[in-house]
Amino acid sequence: MKCNGCSPSDFISFDVGNVHGPESGRIASSEVIGGLIKSAKRPLLVIGAEILEGEMIDKAIGIGKKGIPIAATGHSIAGLVDKGYEGEHYYYELHELTNCLLDPEWQGLDGNGNYDVVIFLGITYYYASAMLSALKNFGTDPLIRAVSIDRYYHPHARMTFKNFTPKYDDEYMEMLDRIISVL
Amino acid sequence: MDKLNLGGISLKDLENVRINIGEVIDEEDEWEEMGPHPKPKMTDLRHWDFKLLDRYKPFYAPQCDVCALCTYGKCDLTGNKRGACGISMEAMQGRIVLLACLIGCSAHTAHGRHMLHDVVRKFGRDVPIDLGPDIAVEAPLTRLICGIKPKTISDFEPVLDYIEEQIVQLTDALHTGQEGSAADFESKALQMGMLDSLGKEVADMIQIACYGMPCGEGDVPLVDVGMGTINQEKPFILVIGHNAPPSIDITDYLTEHGLEDDVEIGGICCTSIDITRRYQKAKIVSALGRQLRVVRTGFSDLIIIDEQCIRADIVEQAKAVGTPVIATNDKAMHGLVDRTDDPADEIIDDLVKGRVDGVAILDPFKLGEIAVKVAMKMHPIRANKDYILSDDDFMMHLDNCIQCGNCTLACPQGLKIGGANKKALEGDTSALAKMFDICVGCGRCEQVCKKGIPIVDVMVKAARPLIANEKGRMRIGRGPIRDTEIRNVGAPIVLGTIPGIIAPIGCGNYPNGTEDVYLIAKEFAERGYIVTMTGCMAIDAALWHDEDGKTLYETHHANFDRGGVLNVGSCVSNAHIHGAAIKVASIFARRNIRANYDEIADYILNRVGACGVAWGAMSQKAASIATGFNRLGIPAVVGPHGVKYRRAFLGRKDIPENWEFIDCRDGSTIRCEPCPEHLLVAAETVEECLPLMAKLCLRVADTPQGRQIKLTHYIDLSKKYLKIMPPDWSMFVRSEADLPLADKELYLKILEEEHDWKIDWDKMKILKGPIRPPDPSFDPTNLARLIREARVK
Repeated sequence: MKCNGCSPSDFISFDVGNVHGPESGRIASSEVIGGLIKSAKRPLLVIGAEILEGEMIDKAIGIGKKGIPIAATGHSIAGLVDKGYEGEHYYYELHELTNCLLDPEWQGLDGNGNYDVVIFLGITYYYASAMLSALKNFGTDPLIRAVSIDRYYHPHARMTFKNFTPKYDDEYMEMLDRIISVL
Repeated sequence: MDKLNLGGISLKDLENVRINIGEVIDEEDEWEEMGPHPKPKMTDLRHWDFKLLDRYKPFYAPQCDVCALCTYGKCDLTGNKRGACGISMEAMQGRIVLLACLIGCSAHTAHGRHMLHDVVRKFGRDVPIDLGPDIAVEAPLTRLICGIKPKTISDFEPVLDYIEEQIVQLTDALHTGQEGSAADFESKALQMGMLDSLGKEVADMIQIACYGMPCGEGDVPLVDVGMGTINQEKPFILVIGHNAPPSIDITDYLTEHGLEDDVEIGGICCTSIDITRRYQKAKIVSALGRQLRVVRTGFSDLIIIDEQCIRADIVEQAKAVGTPVIATNDKAMHGLVDRTDDPADEIIDDLVKGRVDGVAILDPFKLGEIAVKVAMKMHPIRANKDYILSDDDFMMHLDNCIQCGNCTLACPQGLKIGGANKKALEGDTSALAKMFDICVGCGRCEQVCKKGIPIVDVMVKAARPLIANEKGRMRIGRGPIRDTEIRNVGAPIVLGTIPGIIAPIGCGNYPNGTEDVYLIAKEFAERGYIVTMTGCMAIDAALWHDEDGKTLYETHHANFDRGGVLNVGSCVSNAHIHGAAIKVASIFARRNIRANYDEIADYILNRVGACGVAWGAMSQKAASIATGFNRLGIPAVVGPHGVKYRRAFLGRKDIPENWEFIDCRDGSTIRCEPCPEHLLVAAETVEECLPLMAKLCLRVADTPQGRQIKLTHYIDLSKKYLKIMPPDWSMFVRSEADLPLADKELYLKILEEEHDWKIDWDKMKILKGPIRPPDPSFDPTNLARLIREARVK
């Protein structure tokens, strides 16, 4: 998908009433989002319980295997355990994690400092939206770039995909694969 | 001198002198020394709030980036910018939270006031507050906050006066150009939360006193729950809301006229819970979440609405299935004409003949006859109509679905309805039927459907077999926790051998249906926690059965004791859960509670392992309920929709200095483990919620045995639902005595190898590692005034 091919209808929030304010998430391609993640000094992949649906867990692991640490929220950690994933990963409650991300002094999950790019994947839509809002509004100094690679348009994310209905699942999975290939 | 009475005295020879007596303090009022904060004003407990806010800093997730409350705006607050009035995004969020708490507290308090107005007319002002020989501390919140020991229902008048005055003052603080600090908005919200708990207590005490509802008995009877329990062969009256007197008038009429077996009455939400506390032939049809679907089934021959949690389009929805509506409360008139003073026969005739969609009757004691007669006349008119879709219409609508996804975008749950429709068209209705429970029943999907499909009706049709079999059993609301129960469990709760009190409360906006509620209650009850249910969660838990077909209310006792599953009652009854925690301080620990809020909240925060859960929190009332719990030192977990309240109170376990407590013995500062870690936090799924709640029952004052039991459950639930050892478990270990008994050696080994702790393997003792050493005499507080030396001075 090309970001310059977006139509106004692409900017409809997955929860259509989730209309917020002047700054809307930019719809970006896999390559652009992948490039942002690749250029990050301290990226963090944050996954949620929807990761346990279908093959999404494999995509998360694919990103993790590129050296991106994973913060598993909800009960997504159970999926990583089932898969025997041994890359860098942590269990954290999402509310608590977002709160920590907003603290410039936070030492991070590995004790080496806070993160500059956080990537949301597989988190219940409205929960993710609220946390992205917190990051957008309060994670400004230093700036935390929060992006979503979920199948939903997330207006509070700095970059996001558009909405994908189930019949476009294959296309969505392909976009995740392309992100992995960029990293 | 003769005994003084309320009223006035005119003195002889002094024609222009009259002394008015508004209150007489008698000797009995000296029941306990008056504490420092009788009827605290908005800043009297600010010091306590700031203690809480310092440890549990407000976390904000704005739902909207602009403010549009005054004509300076709209103001863009994105990125914590300030609006034209100078307010920051952060403070704006606190302002919205305060607004929510004000609305919630107003609802409960106005409910109490409304009921008091009505019952005084019927029963008089002197109805005694007498909860029987097992309850001496009859109104713990009233005693704690106001310093009043109520003897009759009229003693609640000054309590309501106080709350109402505070509501006005705190609403004023919302005005543009008033409060500007997020922390102070939160302190005010905490004040409102506290008053919300007080308003609830008043409301429930009044109805218990006037209507003879249970006074804390554990062996209260069971009643029917579920849409499948309605006998459609009989006239059926559906009551919706929270204010029971109008519906009680109906049940009284049925009883007085021997019509109990001829007419069915059932309800949605708290009115149904409250009428069953008095009339056990009533059915609890559903919790709030199914309101639209219950109405759409067309089962109801008459709908009575009172106040709160009523759909705003109830008259329109009822009209679509030929059901008349009677509004009974001036706060929820729904455009209906006030017919209170009209002759009953005229009203009945107008409703039955369909001349009007509904009427308002604002005198609850005029309702019984009209409601019963209307239902009995409507039933034969409506009996031959089926309001559930025919098979042909069902298939036609499924065939019309073009899978556009509009319904999914409009659905608060993001349900993929189109896909389920497609499967149903192919003959498999299971996906649609399953959605019936996850759907929150809002109806937004229908409004955006390009093909005009009545999606709610389609879902009801698919779920019809499930609806027919939806038959649960639930204990009626038992009301307060008895003093005698507190005497039995006070020590085990504070010492930790009963691992905690779990309080499921509030609405039905669950992320994944009602089964989660059952799981939460079942999991904790089976582990020996005390589960105190109220409101919609109490109803929804009763919809699920074990393999023997029993509900939790049938398999567990209803005493406030280990493993109990209690239906405490309606939303206003959850004041008794606050009350139980206060009574632990009063009866077990012998603390003075009179006007002594901060000391008792401090005691509860440090010692009483209780945790609320509002898994489907939806309303402003749920916001004020949770905030009231929080001020009293009780943490709460909300489901993922709860993030839309915008604010959480989150602790930081990685900042050791946030967890410093004062030792009352000598005033020294002790760095402790992070207990309880949060005051208000959301979980994404029930699997995450369960271990989180177990963790939030940990307290700094746990005994080694108590900590061991609590930690065992925390670790076990984490392993069961997250498949991991909780990463932070070692933070809560003070000595080897805190470790789970099973595999103690394994835990010691993990502490040595993964956490670098020093272990004496000969003695199986921890030598170095914990945040603090064990100290059985540690007497934690957050209030300097409670240091014993300070007290002596």
